[in-house]
Amino acid sequence: MRRILQLKSWLALAGTIVPSVLYYENQMELSTVKTVMLFATYVWFDATLLWMGRDQPKDQTVTLDEAPSGTI
Amino acid sequence: MSENQERQQGPPGGEFEREPVPPSSLLGFKSFVGMYAGEHCAGTELMIGPLFVAAGVSAFDLVGGLLLGNLLAVLSWMFLTAPIATNVRLTLYYQLEKICGRQLVTLYNLANGVMFCFLAGSMITVSATAVGVWIKFPMPGLNDVMPNSVGWVVAVVAVGAVISIVAAYGYEAISKFANIASPWMVLVFLAFGIVALKQFTTGAEIHSLGDLWELAETTIWKGGAPLAGKTKFTFWHVTFFAWFCNVAMHVGMADLTVFRFARKSWYGVATAAGMYVGHFMAWIAASLLYAHQLHLDPTDTDVLPGRLAYEAAGVAGLICVIIAGWTTANPTIYRAGLAFQAIVPNRSRFAVTLGTGALATIAGTFPAIAMKMLDFVAIYGMILMPIGAIILVDHYLFKRLGLIPSYAEESGIGFNWAAGLTWFLTMGICALLVQRGGVQVFFVSLPGWFVAVVLYLVLSKVYQRAPS
Repeated sequence: MRRILQLKSWLALAGTIVPSVLYYENQMELSTVKTVMLFATYVWFDATLLWMGRDQPKDQTVTLDEAPSGTI
Repeated sequence: MSENQERQQGPPGGEFEREPVPPSSLLGFKSFVGMYAGEHCAGTELMIGPLFVAAGVSAFDLVGGLLLGNLLAVLSWMFLTAPIATNVRLTLYYQLEKICGRQLVTLYNLANGVMFCFLAGSMITVSATAVGVWIKFPMPGLNDVMPNSVGWVVAVVAVGAVISIVAAYGYEAISKFANIASPWMVLVFLAFGIVALKQFTTGAEIHSLGDLWELAETTIWKGGAPLAGKTKFTFWHVTFFAWFCNVAMHVGMADLTVFRFARKSWYGVATAAGMYVGHFMAWIAASLLYAHQLHLDPTDTDVLPGRLAYEAAGVAGLICVIIAGWTTANPTIYRAGLAFQAIVPNRSRFAVTLGTGALATIAGTFPAIAMKMLDFVAIYGMILMPIGAIILVDHYLFKRLGLIPSYAEESGIGFNWAAGLTWFLTMGICALLVQRGGVQVFFVSLPGWFVAVVLYLVLSKVYQRAPS
């Protein structure tokens, strides 16, 4: 099941970038690019949330050293 | 895989706050590559790229400056931060406490907290520009300082409230979500650039890279005068900006906390994943979006990431803007809250984080920070850079010069005045150099670092000899 979800995620990533490349090569209209990217976005989050980082440690009190830094 | 996954759960920590990281807990190279690649493709990129164009960069200025500046940043991590981190293996805060004393560390945290508040506010601004695409209200212009419509204020407050509440409940969930969003966000940024580039090349005769470069020089990044109210950016401005935008992390040594887990100091090269993905590709992609907007209408100077993203990638682009702003604002509000809690320890973390989020939201209603992000980032770096100089001097020079390293710990003091004065005087001298000395804020951290080094040596010689 995990492998299937990971495959879906990879396909979603492809759906995120390939349309713009096809648009660059005059193989796809911009409106279609936007539609495919939106669908790929949905698939990415739908699939990836189910497998990435599943072994999540419990929330706990953290200190400054543990808190993520706000990066630029 | 497990190492990378563990690394991507969140920052290292939960252990070894006040002791060196043991060999059994060290992490491999891939962990750092993944972390840096994800962290530096964020909401800030959506402002910085366009603001380069507003500053009148030419094609060579931008591309060449980013290649060199990001290289200097990577080398700073590799040769300044990582060697100390892998030698000492302590957190930044614990190391600072040993050198500067707990009270000075509290001041450092407060300074960081205030800057993080403003940074989070600017990211709430970025996310609010996405809301403005759906709900048509007047959005701020390039040189606006004050909020310009009720709709804008409502949008910022709504976005800020959601971000603050999530931050108050803890960062684990948003950290996980940010890790998941990262790979997708990087590709959306790349798509922005490809779409915008196509819109420039439509109708143009492009048969080679040379033709593309000529288009870049004559049509995309034409150089010349900056837009009204903006500082002209040259090759050196871009170089120094790219180098110093994360000065707090490398020269300023904040990433000691990260690299204390590295097996080898050369892992500092992993930062290239962040620099060349986020601070090269994403900045160029975002700048292409804005350059195209100006190309269509030179009077349309508003820098609105939501609108730019929507025109290039539709709703997916809008979602990217919201997530990019959100996943940058959330941890910064959380971290600022932790810093502020040091002065109000009796308050709950939840309440302090909510209050911090409220401050960030108020800041976000004023578009000035976002619209002047280049200046803000430079000032941010200037304020925190001296601390890195103090750590470096303490680590490499003190013993050789007969001075006592980790002086606060050795002498049992809570405030190392030599360190404190070094920090304040360096900031003062840098401010003077900017105000009166003709040095622009984008460059001042370089001479400022040398000033801090000399000051800390001299003041420590005096301070350590003074009778207690």
